[in-house]
Order: sequence, then C-alpha cells, then structure tokens
Amino acid sequence: MDSLLVYNNKKRRLIKRYLITLLLLLLVFWAHLWSGNPVFYSAISQEPGWAEFKQRYTVSEFGEDGYFVRAVKSGYNLFFHTDRYGWRFTRQSADDAISSCASCHTPEDIAYGFVNADRYDPVLAKRVSFEERVMRCYASPSRLNGFVPTVYDPAIRDLRIFARMVAHKLQLSEGALRAAG
Amino acid sequence: MTRLTGVLLNRWFRLGAVLIVLVVIYLTAQSKHQQRDQLRDAEVVLTQDCADKLGRYNLQPDTRYRSPYVEAQTGAADSLLGYRAEDVRAIQRGCNIIDDLQGEQAVSAAERWNSTRFVRGTQTSCDHCHQGVGDKQDAQGNRQTGSISLGASWVMADMYDRFTGLLLPFELRQMQCFINSSNGFKPNIADDLIRDVTAYSRFLSAALDLKMGNRYPEQGIDELPASGTLKRGDDYVRGETLYQGRCAHCHGAQGLGMVQAGRVLFPAVAGPDAFNLQSRNNFSFVSTILPGFICRNMPKGEEGSLDTQQCRDIAFYISNLPRPAGDRQGPLAAVWQQLMMRAMPGLVGFVDSLNPSSPSSPSSAQSSL
Repeated sequence: MDSLLVYNNKKRRLIKRYLITLLLLLLVFWAHLWSGNPVFYSAISQEPGWAEFKQRYTVSEFGEDGYFVRAVKSGYNLFFHTDRYGWRFTRQSADDAISSCASCHTPEDIAYGFVNADRYDPVLAKRVSFEERVMRCYASPSRLNGFVPTVYDPAIRDLRIFARMVAHKLQLSEGALRAAG
Repeated sequence: MTRLTGVLLNRWFRLGAVLIVLVVIYLTAQSKHQQRDQLRDAEVVLTQDCADKLGRYNLQPDTRYRSPYVEAQTGAADSLLGYRAEDVRAIQRGCNIIDDLQGEQAVSAAERWNSTRFVRGTQTSCDHCHQGVGDKQDAQGNRQTGSISLGASWVMADMYDRFTGLLLPFELRQMQCFINSSNGFKPNIADDLIRDVTAYSRFLSAALDLKMGNRYPEQGIDELPASGTLKRGDDYVRGETLYQGRCAHCHGAQGLGMVQAGRVLFPAVAGPDAFNLQSRNNFSFVSTILPGFICRNMPKGEEGSLDTQQCRDIAFYISNLPRPAGDRQGPLAAVWQQLMMRAMPGLVGFVDSLNPSSPSSPSSAQSSL
C-alpha cells in the first residue's frame, strides 16, 4: 500500500515537472513565433517629422555607418514620444501635459545640456553627468514621473547620441554657452 | 528544555552573526564613501607635466573659461562655461591619472583612486600611449596627427567601433584600456577614476576648441595597413634587427621596459607588465594600429624617422614577444603565455650570452662602449 502511494506521488511530481516544462516551452515559442511581438528588430519605427528632422540636421552625413543614424532615430523617437518609446520608465501618457522630453525641451536645449554636463551642481552637492540628468528627468514626479533606467539603457544612450548629433550640427564645443536672446 | 534553549540560542546566535556582518559591511561602505568625499574635497597635488599642461590652459575656478591656447592660435577665443572648484579638482585628478596611473608620484594610492586595483602590470600608465598627457603637441603647439588625443577622442565618442560592434561610449572605451592595454580589470562606469578622466578629456576638448562630432587628425591612431608600404611583407627578422637598433636602448633587449628607483622610465612592450594579447596594440589581432602608433610616436624625440615598412616590421616583432593572455583567450592560452613569460627571458638571455655578436650580449655591450 505504502509503496503504491510513493509510486503515485512520484508519478504526480513527474507529470507536474513535464507540465511546467511544456508550459514554459509554449510560452517561449508563443513569444518568439506566434505573439507577433518583435524580439529584436534593427529597424527603428519612423515617426512623423523624422524625415524633416533628418534633413534639417543632416543626420545622414554624420558618422560613417547606419548604427549611429539608427541610434539618433531612436533618440528622436524617445525625445518626442517618450510615453511610447520609453514607456517602461515613465507613468505619463500622451494625454498628460508632460509626456515626453519635447514637452519641456527643444533639441537645442538638450545639445547645450550635453556640452555643459559633468559639472558640479550646488543643489545636489555633487558633479552631475548628462546621463544622470536624464535619469532624474525620468524619475522626477513633476516631469516624466517614472523610473530610473540604467546608464547603459538605450533610453539613456540614444538620448545622449541624439544630443551629440544636434551638438555636432550646431558645432558646439565643450562648455559652449547659448547666445543671449 | 535544554535542547530547545540550545536550538533557540543557536538561532539567535546565527541571526546575530548575520546582523553583525551586515552592520560591518554597512559601516565599511559608509567609511569608504566618507574617504571618497574627503578625497574629492582635498587639494590636488599635480604632477609636473599636469601642472605645466593645466597651467598653460589656465584652468582655475571661474564662471567663464577662455582658452589661452585658442587665443594664441586664432587671436580670439569663445567664452565658455567656467569651472567650479569641484570641477577643477576632478580635472586635475584626471590629468594625474593619465600622467601617473601607477601613483609613482603620489603620496598615497588613494590619490589616484587606487587605480592599480584595475591594472595587473606594474608599469602601465595611460600616457605611454596617450602621450603629452593625452594632448601631444610639438614645440610650436601643433597637435600631432595620430597621437590618440583624449580631447579629440571625447568629441568623437559614441561612434561605431568595429572591434566591439558597439556605439562605444567614452567610458566603455576607457574600460577597454584597463582590460587590455593595461592587462587589468574593468572599473565601474561611475567610478571616480573613470569620471575624472572623462572630466579631464572634456576639459582638453574645451581648451583646444574641438567641436562635437568633428574628426580631428590627432584623434585615434593613424593606422598603417600593409597597403601603405611597398608590400615586401612584414618580417620578424628585420623587425628584431630594427627593434634592437632603435628601440631596445629604452624598452630593453627583451622588451621588459626600464624602471629606475621605482619609476618607469620606459614601459614594457613584452612580458607580464605589457599590454595583453587582446589589446588592439597586438599586431596579430589588429595589424594596423601598433605600426601606426610607432610611425607617428616612436622613437621618442625622433618621431617620423622610421619608414612605414620598418614600423610594421617592428610591430610584427614586438607582438610576437610573450605577453599576458587577454580576456578572451581562455585558460590554456593564459597558462601558455605565463609559461612563456617566465621561461623565455632567461632562455633568450642565456642564448644571447653565448653569441658574442648579439646586441644584448655582455661582450657586445662592452665592445660598443
């Protein structure tokens, strides 16, 4: 009798294991093959205004490769549509007054911010990098009201590259100041 | 009852022990943070080269910065955002790190943020490659082509890097230098060591008025492919002869560098203190970088005296000398390289001593005096 019970328990545990494995496999296959969600895509979605922006800032002439231009395009999407492209790091939606970086800044602002970053901030009592400023924007309740991405996240990196590209177009040097007016 | 008390006591004891360990870790972290804060606030004692460089560029706390270098070159300089005292100290520390990574001129290793934690060898320093404290100029103040200027590198950061396949941020590039060129370990991206070097590089780009995203001739290495030669083929034997004639009097007959009174006069190009197999300096990994560096920057004071084929031959020879395995070579290669580094210098020295015509043999050295 006892041995029968042990046998049944063993069998049940085995079936449970197989079921869990099967469920996991199904989830993986569903996510990769049938969900329709792209796992990895090198193409960056094109938002309205990108073509004009690209022309205005001569993005294609910058860098010798498509990688940089793609990162700038991703930065453009993040900058103008943060609620959609940086959704993991913001609680804001398109209906909110502040829903993207562009709600408060222009691309020129961010370029000047970039070349003037890495300076001591008396309020925070420490030297603050451009990346940290962006992180603070994501997390600030009065701004994007969200969460802090890691410094390696494309939500930070692509904004930095976007800022770098605009700074190049404006031919800014380190510490360049905006002309008054 | 006694057993139960024993179990409970045992549990309390274990819990207490864990708590004590956590408190000790917390207090240690607090004390380390305080030490770092104190160091950030401390006056920086500059190395001589840094004092010269930063003095020339008039780095001091002010609301505005105007570069004397740019004024001298063009007659006028833009008024840029100035530096607070905290920024100035970060830039000064960054310069010291570039000039003296090993802390040979520092009172304590903490002055360099204990940078030797990230370096295995005892000789490597950033300015061995990034000469002129990362900003090499001739007597007239002309920046030197292919001199790996840090300021020019900063303005071209985030570009696609063909070796890593990444849009390589400036901080990650520094990490690679630590891992391969210095045969060491990766500092954290937020470590003061990395941040201060970035601050210094950014300051250099301001002082030289380099525009963001522009390619300058002093950025990177002026790479030298085989197509830049008469295509005689790179030759180890020619390379050895050239090395012994032009390089060995500084870097040593076996490339182990020259150290006097604890100061590295000339760095090792082979052996345990040299760059590793995964470094871009390694000819068999990238065949264009070390020849380009040699042609533009070596021998010191006689730059440009070697022709392109000679540079490639020397690079080929140097890269075949034993050196540490890189982070991607695996344990077998690492063990083999260690064996070679330990056994070969003695063996080569012994064989050389048997050959009176060898440049490194004692009899040859005496006859040349």
